[in-house]
Amino acid sequence: MTDIQTLHILNKSPDHPRAARCVEMMSAEDGLLLTGNGVLLLARGNLLPGASKVFALIPDVEARGLGDLSGNVSSVDFAEMVTLSLQAQRVISW
Amino acid sequence: MTTLIMIDQPPYGAWTGREALDMAFSLAAFDQSASLLFTGPGVNWLRQTQHAGGIEQKSVEKNLAAAPIFGMDAILADRAACIAYGLDEHSLIEGVTLVDADADLLTDYDHTAFAG
Repeated sequence: MTDIQTLHILNKSPDHPRAARCVEMMSAEDGLLLTGNGVLLLARGNLLPGASKVFALIPDVEARGLGDLSGNVSSVDFAEMVTLSLQAQRVISW
Repeated sequence: MTTLIMIDQPPYGAWTGREALDMAFSLAAFDQSASLLFTGPGVNWLRQTQHAGGIEQKSVEKNLAAAPIFGMDAILADRAACIAYGLDEHSLIEGVTLVDADADLLTDYDHTAFAG
């Protein structure tokens, strides 16, 4: 796993104002982890950040029937989510 | 007396949507004319193949399947929101009617209530 500068964890739906704020304030070296309603961003591909790595929590993705949408997004389970947050220099929960 | 229940909150994130669904079903069960309108992120209730076991919840898809049994008049979805979330006739559950959620639609109903 390449190192991630800041891991942004987003659980807000794309329509929540904080979702757009989060994506706006990410740099290319950061990672974005989508959980809860945050995984709905996968259904709005145009809003996803271009450069940085995007991860999505599997149970939330499957609950919302978005399993096949996560093309260039890596799906992670709870254990991998913990590893991600340990690796990042900094974690921000939006 | 016709009632429109509008669900504009995404599924699974909070309980308010389910409460609105229960309200709609109770209305229908007592032979009141009730319809559901999903708008904004609420349209995500209507996507097929929802497997919610991983988050220990019952899929809302199954709840909605009971709508005809209760005698729900219609399940409506806002066209623009469906397009925004990449939902079309192949990914929407059955029995959903696409509409434009605008002022005209509201005038068709005596009462409109919201989820949360």
